[in-house]
Amino acid sequence: MESIALTINGKKVSCRMGDTLLSVAEKNSIFIPTLCHHPALKAYGACRMCLVEDENTGRLMASCVTPAAKDMAILTETERIITHRKNIVRLMLAEHPESCIVCSKGNRCELRGIAARLGVAENRLYPMPNYKPYEELNPFIVRDLSKCILCGKCIRADHELVATGAIDYNERGFASRPATLMENPLEESTCTFCGTCVSMCPTGALSSKHAGFVGTPEMQKDSICGFCGAGCSLAIGIAGSRVMEVNPSRVKGSVNSATLCVRGHFAHDFLNSPNRLKQPLIRMPDEDSRLVLQPVPWDQALSKTAEILADIKRSHGPGSIAFVGSPKCSIEENYLFQKIARVVFETNNITSTGSINGQPILRFMENKTMGAARISPFFELEKAEAIVVINADPDHSVPVAAYHVKRATRTGTPLVTIDSRKTGLAPFAAARIRPEPESDPDFRIPLLIASLAAKIADLNGHDSGYISQFTTGWDLIKTETSSMLEANPLSSGEEKEISRAAEMLSGRKIALVLGSDVMESRHGTAIADASFNLVLATGSLGAPNAGIFIPTPESNTAGAMDMGVLPDMLPGRKQLSDSAARNKLESLWKTKLSPDSGLDLPGIIEAAESGHLKALYIMGENLIRALPESSRVEEALKKLDFIVVQDIFDNRTTRLAHVVFPGSAFAEKNGSFTNMEGRIQSFIPAADPPGQARADWHILGMLAQKMGYPEQYATIEKIRQEIRRTVPMYATLGSQRQEWIKNSEDTTPLSVKNGDKFEFASIKQGQPAEISQGKSFTAMLGSLRWHPAGGTRTSRSPRMAAWDRDSQVRLCPADINALDLTGKEAIRISSNHGSIERSFVADPGIFPGRVFVPLGVCGNDAACLAGIDSLKQTAPAWRTCGVDIEKI
Amino acid sequence: MDPTQFDRHKLDEIIEDYRDRKWALIPLLQEVQEEFGFVPPEAIVPIAEALNMFASQVQGVITFYSGFSLKPKGRCVLRVCRGTACHVKGSRSILRLVKKELDLEEGQTSNDYQFTLETVACLGACFLAPTMMVNKDYYGRLNPTKVVSVLGEHRKDKEDD
Repeated sequence: MESIALTINGKKVSCRMGDTLLSVAEKNSIFIPTLCHHPALKAYGACRMCLVEDENTGRLMASCVTPAAKDMAILTETERIITHRKNIVRLMLAEHPESCIVCSKGNRCELRGIAARLGVAENRLYPMPNYKPYEELNPFIVRDLSKCILCGKCIRADHELVATGAIDYNERGFASRPATLMENPLEESTCTFCGTCVSMCPTGALSSKHAGFVGTPEMQKDSICGFCGAGCSLAIGIAGSRVMEVNPSRVKGSVNSATLCVRGHFAHDFLNSPNRLKQPLIRMPDEDSRLVLQPVPWDQALSKTAEILADIKRSHGPGSIAFVGSPKCSIEENYLFQKIARVVFETNNITSTGSINGQPILRFMENKTMGAARISPFFELEKAEAIVVINADPDHSVPVAAYHVKRATRTGTPLVTIDSRKTGLAPFAAARIRPEPESDPDFRIPLLIASLAAKIADLNGHDSGYISQFTTGWDLIKTETSSMLEANPLSSGEEKEISRAAEMLSGRKIALVLGSDVMESRHGTAIADASFNLVLATGSLGAPNAGIFIPTPESNTAGAMDMGVLPDMLPGRKQLSDSAARNKLESLWKTKLSPDSGLDLPGIIEAAESGHLKALYIMGENLIRALPESSRVEEALKKLDFIVVQDIFDNRTTRLAHVVFPGSAFAEKNGSFTNMEGRIQSFIPAADPPGQARADWHILGMLAQKMGYPEQYATIEKIRQEIRRTVPMYATLGSQRQEWIKNSEDTTPLSVKNGDKFEFASIKQGQPAEISQGKSFTAMLGSLRWHPAGGTRTSRSPRMAAWDRDSQVRLCPADINALDLTGKEAIRISSNHGSIERSFVADPGIFPGRVFVPLGVCGNDAACLAGIDSLKQTAPAWRTCGVDIEKI
Repeated sequence: MDPTQFDRHKLDEIIEDYRDRKWALIPLLQEVQEEFGFVPPEAIVPIAEALNMFASQVQGVITFYSGFSLKPKGRCVLRVCRGTACHVKGSRSILRLVKKELDLEEGQTSNDYQFTLETVACLGACFLAPTMMVNKDYYGRLNPTKVVSVLGEHRKDKEDD
C-alpha cells in the first residue's frame, strides 16, 4: 500500500493511505486530546477536542476523522488550537453540574482530565446546567444525563458493538440527549445491561450502580471472566482488597474487545457476598454433642480428610469414592483433581456437571470431526460468508458470541436461524426456518437442516470438490434425506423459507453456530448429526472463517473436558478405552489405570442411594442445586459416610458435608480457562480470597501431600509444567497470557490423518415421541442472560438479586388465554419429578403447548422438573420434559 | 373524533411500500405524517422492523426534524416567522396578537385540534415581512386587522365541517 509522508509538529512521519491524523500522531507518540474517540468505534468527530492545524493552509481539522494526506504540515499544539480547545471545554463545563466531588467517575473523568490539562477551571461563562432526571431504578446502571457531553460513545457502542439499539440521540440542539424509545427508563427498553456504554462514558453520565458512594478504584488488574465460555478479558478495579468494578480490559485481540455482558460487568459483586466461606470446617460434636460444622485450622482439616479418605479406600476399595469437579474451576485445578482421583485413589469415578452441560456436544463434534473443530475463533464470524445458527440463543447464553453474529449481519452477512423458538437473533436473521408447531417441534429440526443441505445441493451450491476429496457417504445422505422427507413432508411455509435460505447459502462456506445444549434436549443427536452434515456439504469444515462454533456455557467447560474430568475420558481428549493413551499416562504418572469407566453423575447418585458409594469429594459445585431432582440428590448425599466439599459459598451441599474447604473464585487465584474458541487464557489474582480461603489448586496440592503422594504441588507453575508434559494439546500452557489449543499434525483441518475422511452422519431420527408424557405442556429448560448454568454465583450477586425479571417463565399468548391467566398471578408447573411456582410473561416467540423455564434462579428449582434418569444416556436429554400448568 | 386514533391498516400499507429500504426512512415518515397529520408513536416499532433499523434510531430521526411530530397537530398549523426581516417589521407583535387571539403558546395545539401555533426561524419570504403560514398558504405584509381576518377565515373552516 502507498506510503504517505507528512510532518507533525515538524517531525517527519510516514503512514499508510487512509490512516487518520489521530492514529498517525498516536503511532508517533504525539498526544492529541480526545473525548468522543474510542479505538473500538468508528471515528465520529463529535467533540472537536482533537482539532489540529495544517500549517500550509491554516485550516483546522478534527484529526480523528481527517485522513492524512501527502505533505501536510500538521501542528497539534498552537495557540489557536489551544484557545479553541479551551473554549470547547469551557462551554461543556458551563453546561455541566458542579457535582465533581461526589461523582464516582472521580479522577477517571476524561472531561475533568482534559480541563486540568488545558488549565480550565473557572470558565467565566453563565452556567446553564441541563438538568435531567437522575435514573437509578434498575440495579445495574445509573444514568445522570445532566453530565452528558453528547460524545455519542454510548450510542455508538450500543449500535456498532453490541447491536442492541436501545438508545439513540433524541430531540435536537440543547434538548438533545441519548434516549431510549419514548424516553422510557432503561429497564423498560430493549437494553440488556451489558454495561459497554458505562465503560466508555467519558464523564459520570453513566456509571455502575453501587449501594452507596464508593469513589474510584485504587488500581486495575487484568483478569479473565469466569462466568460463561466466552472468557472475556477484564480489567478489575480494586479498592483495598475488594473488587469494586469490572470493565473490559484494553488487551488487544481479546474475544470481547470493548464489550461485556450483564454478568461480566455487574455480577462480580458476588465476590463480596456475606455467604462466602472463610475457614475450613469439620463436622464435630458441639457442647450438646450435636454434629455441626465447626471451624478448624487448615492442617487439622486436611489431615482429618486424608485420614478418613484413606480409610474408606482401604476398607471399601477405590470404587467407593467418587469425585465431582467443576467447569468453573481452572484447567490446573481440574487436572490435579482428576490426577488425585485416578492416581492417589485409583478410581475413574470422576466427573463434573459439565458432563450434562455443554460437554456432550463438544465430545460429539470432537469425534465426528476427528479433532478438526477444536479451534474456532469467534471473530471469524464477522468475516464469514454466511452464518447459520441452530438451536442456539447466544443473546442469552453467551452474549459476546451474539455480538459477533449481530455485527456480522449489520455488515450484510446473511444469517439463517433454525430454531423452534424466536431467539434474540431473530430480528437480525435474513431467513428464519421454524418448524411447524406440532406437539414436538424439535422432531422436525433435523429434517429441516437435512432438507436445507439437500436444497443447497439442488441449487448446485454444495462443495462437490470438498465432498469427494475429504468425505464419504454423501450419496447415502441424499437418499436418506429424501426418504425422511417422504415420511414427513415439509409444509409450504417451511419449504418456502428453506428455499430462501438455500439461495443465500448456496456456494458459500458457512459458519455454523450450534447451541451448546443441543445434545441435552430430545432429538439432540439427530440435530447434531444433521448440522455436521450441513457443514460438510458446504465444504465449511477447515475452511477459513467457517466451520463449527459452539458457545460453551461455563468458563472452563472445554478445559475440564480436556483435563479428563470425565469417567471415560483421559486428559487430552483421549478415550479411557484407548490403551495407547492409557499406557502413556501410566508411565508418566507411574501408576496403573483401570480401563473401565467410572461412575457418571446419575451413576454416583444411584451408587450413593444403594450404599455402594461411601465418600464423595466435590470441588466447586453445589451438586444439590446443579443437578435435576434436588430432593433425590439431597437424600442420596445424606446416605454417604463422608462428603468433602471445596466451595466458595455456604450452600445446601456444604451443609451436608463432613469437611468443607473454603476455595477461591476466579478473580482471587492463579489459573487458566479454555474458552469456547479453544483459546487458553491464564490469569493472576486480582483480589485476595476472603479470610483463610485458598486457591482450589493449592488445597488439592496440600491434600495430595497429606495423602502421602510424593509429588509436591506448591506452585501453579509446577502443575502447568506437568500438564505441558502430559497433555500435548496444552504443550504451551502458561507460557503466555493467552494461547490456543495445540493441534497435532493429524488433526489439523484438511490434513486428516492417513487420508481418513470425514463421514457424513446417518441421521438417526427418533419418533416424534410421547413428548409430553401425558402432560399438556412441554417445558424447555434454558438459561437467560442473568444466570449462566446453575447460577450458583450470579444468584449471590446483590445486583442480580435486585433484578426481578430473571425468573419469569415464557408462555405463548394463546396459552395464557386458554389457561385463563390474567397477568399477575403465579402459576404452578409440575412434572413427574417435581413442581415449581413462577410468575410468567407472554412471549409470542414460543410455540403453543411449550413453556420456556429459566434455569439458575430461585435456587435453580427448575432443574427439579427433569429427572436424574434422563441423564443416563450419551445425550442426556434433561432439558425437555412434559409438564402441567395450573393457576394458583 | 379522537385525533390520536389512526387507521392501522393504512399505516401497514404505507410501511409495506418501503419494506427493507433503509434509505427510505424519511420519505416513509413524510408519507405517514401527510396521511395522519402526525407520526403515531405506535408506528415507530413497525417502521423500524420493516427497515431493519433500531426503533431508537427511527425515533431520533422523527424528533430531529421539526417537520415530523409525534403528537397530533391541529387542522390549521400556524407558523409565524421570527426571522430577522420579520422581526424588524414587527413580527413580535404579530406573534403576541396570534397568541392572544388563539389563547395558545408556541408549540401548543388547541383543545379542539383546530389550531397549532409554531414559530419558525425564516419562511424565506422576507420581501413580504412580516409573514406567517397557515398549512401550505403564505400570508404576508401582516397587520393586526389582517391577522384577525386570516384567523377568522380559518375558524370558519371549522364551522363548515
